[in-house]
Order: sequence, then structure tokens, then C-alpha cells
Amino acid sequence: MPDTAVSTRALVKRYRDVTAVDSLNLDVRRGEIYGFLGRNGAGKTTTIRMMLGLIRPSSGEVTVLGKRIIPGETAVFARVGFLVETATAYPNLTVRENLDIQRRLTGSPPRSVADSITLLRLDPYADRRAGQLSLGNKQRLALARALLHSPELLVLDEPANGLDPAGIVEIRELLRSLADNRGATVFMSSHILAEVAHLADRIGIVHDGRLIEESSRDELAAKARAFATDAYTPEEREQALLTLDLERYFLARTGDARGADGRRTGASSEGGAV
Amino acid sequence: MFGQVLGTEFMKLHRAKATWATLAVLAIMPLGIALFMWIVREPGRAAQLGLLGTKASLAGLEATWLQYFYMLTLVFGVGGMLLLTFIIAYLFGREYGDATAKNMLALPVARHWFAVAKLAVAAVWWTALIVIVLVEAMAVGLVLGLPGFSAELAAAGIAHVLLAATISFLLAPVVAWIAVWSRGEVAPIAFSLVMLALGNLFGKTGWAEWFPYSIVPLLIGMVADPVGSLPPGSYVVLAGTFVAGTTATILQLRFADNAQ
Repeated sequence: MPDTAVSTRALVKRYRDVTAVDSLNLDVRRGEIYGFLGRNGAGKTTTIRMMLGLIRPSSGEVTVLGKRIIPGETAVFARVGFLVETATAYPNLTVRENLDIQRRLTGSPPRSVADSITLLRLDPYADRRAGQLSLGNKQRLALARALLHSPELLVLDEPANGLDPAGIVEIRELLRSLADNRGATVFMSSHILAEVAHLADRIGIVHDGRLIEESSRDELAAKARAFATDAYTPEEREQALLTLDLERYFLARTGDARGADGRRTGASSEGGAV
Repeated sequence: MFGQVLGTEFMKLHRAKATWATLAVLAIMPLGIALFMWIVREPGRAAQLGLLGTKASLAGLEATWLQYFYMLTLVFGVGGMLLLTFIIAYLFGREYGDATAKNMLALPVARHWFAVAKLAVAAVWWTALIVIVLVEAMAVGLVLGLPGFSAELAAAGIAHVLLAATISFLLAPVVAWIAVWSRGEVAPIAFSLVMLALGNLFGKTGWAEWFPYSIVPLLIGMVADPVGSLPPGSYVVLAGTFVAGTTATILQLRFADNAQ
């Protein structure tokens, strides 16, 4: 079994005279959480679309779980869960019905629907139509759909979109537990630095379609600290600490994920379908 | 796997307003024709009720079963084709409108099954509508008490309606391809409207039997006198259009970029 879950080689995607992804070489190791960091329009979503065979590369190749991705060849996606761009679902169907479609088309057992509902804490909304869900709960539904068939690889495009701070912490812990306890590989894109910094084992920074930096989180943190030592004013440091304090206070008051002492107060994010 | 895909395609219609909307639109058609027949039969009372303008001419029209079936074929042929376009645009285009196509196409399912299953759902939906509305049309005709009914006439009239409905369905895969190519619901509907107009224009050139969108107008007598049966060449053209449309839809889903 190859030790890379995803690799791209000289991957290029051009739209007429715009090069969205430019000679991208990427290796995501099995069992790691890889943060794919970039600004809006950097080429993150285009790369993910090529990983999932939704669009064809202009040149180069993508290999996922040892299989070269060719548009229309979809067998490998039985082992891949994904969330691309916005969280979408059939609006006239309930949460349960949406997940049942995923279950049927991935050949998953019947109980996987209930398990994924519980895992993403969607029980109160299970029989609500997807079109009536809040943005955050639509995101949870999309994550439940991605996790339902216990994939070896999760490809998540901006997984924290629409989630409140407690939800972000919860999903972060869920993804961490999937990687640590189940050996799942997580490839997540984000433009939110803090999100990637909290979770990723390795981080790749993409800019104008090119990978301009790739290192472990610790290496990147060291570089960032060295770079930033003299750059922050005392006010900026105070502001950053205040943000962290406010997040912790919010979580403690809402009692949803982590108390002021840093311990979880809600249900475990472990178990279920994944 | 096809059975699973087909099952999920039917699931997607659960609580969809489109199914009831298409039934409502098609069910109005026989009622409209019946009202027209009644006005033809009772012009004095219709004028009293304000349903007939004093200068309106109904010369040459008769309130008979023969005329009733002719008008049913006319309305089903044109209105039905547009309604079927709406159904196909809904089934294929809405996956892009709701941005669910990306979820569907990265599943471990061969993409051609989605195209085939959606066409199968459209066939079932279309057949159900035609059967329900034909039963309604027969009941409305009987209530109206139109003269000239015979079993042979009814069989021939129903066969004509069913043939027009079948031809409309054979043209549907091209609409499906337009929906997936354009990634939405508007373009396929616009395409059908343009083709319907072109079909009428082309039908007057004498080549109606060779242009797919002129064949229904030819059958129902929009571009010439109604024909009892279509020339064999028209069936070849229709079969070719069906195969080409289905193949193009599958190839589009399989090989083209499917970003939203």
C-alpha cells in the first residue's frame, strides 16, 4: 500500500488565459491532516475538483489512494469522503433522506445514517428539510454525508464554513480523532490561518496556483514566530490574546464544547459511523 | 447499482412541487378543450356568459369526438412537448441549480447510470401524466355528451396522442444534454422554444419528416394536413435523435468539466 494518500504531479489547470493551478506537486501522507492554505482564488478548490474528478487537468496527474484520477472513473470514491465549496443538499428532502441517498449510493449499512446523524449532532434536525436548515447545520449535514461511509480519505474544502466557534472546535476534535484513532487522512483547504494552524500536521501554502511553501506545523510555526517577533505591536499582541480569551469565554458560557478550564463539557465527538 | 441509482432518483422527487405542477398544467388542457367544445356547441349561451365575443367566428368547427381528439393531439403535441422539456430540465438542470451535481458525480457510481436513471424517471413521470390526463380527457368528453363516439375513433385518437407523447420523449435526451452542458434549467427550456418555432418554420418547407422538431407538428397537422402515420424516415430520425442525445448527455457527464 503506498504511503501517500494523495499526490499531484505537475498538475495544471487553465481556463483560457487564466492558469488556476500551475505545476502543482503535492504529496499527502496517509493518516496525516494536511492543511492546504491559500487566499481566495489561490487555486484550492480547483485542485480539490481535480482530485475528485469533477474537472480535467489541463496537464499533469492526480493520484488518490493509489489510483490515478480519470474523469468518469469513480470506483476509488467509495473510499473518499468530500465536501466541495458550499455545503449543499436536496432542499426538499430531510436530513435523514439526504443521508439515505448517500448510504444507498455508497453501499453503506442502514445504521450508518443514524450513526452519522448522531456523530454530527444532527438528531434534533433529522426530520427537518435540508432547505430549512441554518448555514451551520447545512455544513454539519455535508460533513455527515462525507463521513457516512467511513472513508479512508477526507477531502474537505473550507470545512469550518458557517460553523459557530463551538462547532468549529467540535469539528476540529472530530477530524483529529479520525486521524489519530482511525488512521483517516484529512486533506482540508482553508483561507483561515487559525483553522489550519490548530489542526494540520503539515501545511502547504498555495498562491496563484503554485505551492510556495510546505512544512510541518511546528516548522511553519517556528518560521512564523521568527518572522513576526519584531513585527507585532503590543496592541496587536493584546488583540490576539483577547480573541483567544473571548473564544474560551464564549465556549464556557455556551457550555457546548470546552469549558473555561479547557475540558470538554459536551458529548464526545468520537464513535458513530466513522 | 442501476437499481440503487433509480431508487434515489425517485427519492429526489419526494415532496417536489414540480410533479404536482406538471399534473395540474396538463390536467387543465382537456378542460380547456372541453370548454371550447361547449362554446362551439352553445354559442348563444356562451355569448350570454361573455365567453364568446360577438365578432368571434367559429365557422367550420364542430363539437364532435373527432374534433375533440384532434384538438387533444394538437394540445398534447405542443404543450406536452414543452411540459416534458420542463420535466427534463428539472431532473437534470436542478442538480446544478441546487449545486448537488458535484456531490452526485464524485460518488462511486458510474456516471452513465445517473443519465439513464433520470431518463427512466422522466419516462415514468411522463407516462403517468399522459395516462392520468387521457383518462380525465375521456371522462370530460363523456360528461360533455359529444356526438360521434365510437370505439374505433377513441382507439385511433388515443393512439395518436400516445404517438405524439412518444415522439416528444424521443426528443428529450437532447434537452437533457443542453441542461448538463449549460448546467441549469433555463437553457433547455429556451432551446425547446426555439426548436418548436424552427420546427414549425421548417415544417412548411416540405422537409418536415426529416427535421426532428417538425415531426410532431407534421403529425398533428400544424404545418400541413394531419398525417395518419409518419413516414419511416421520421422514425429513423427520431431514433437517431434519441441515441445522439443520450450519448451526448453521458459523455458530457463523464468527460466534461462539471464545476458549478
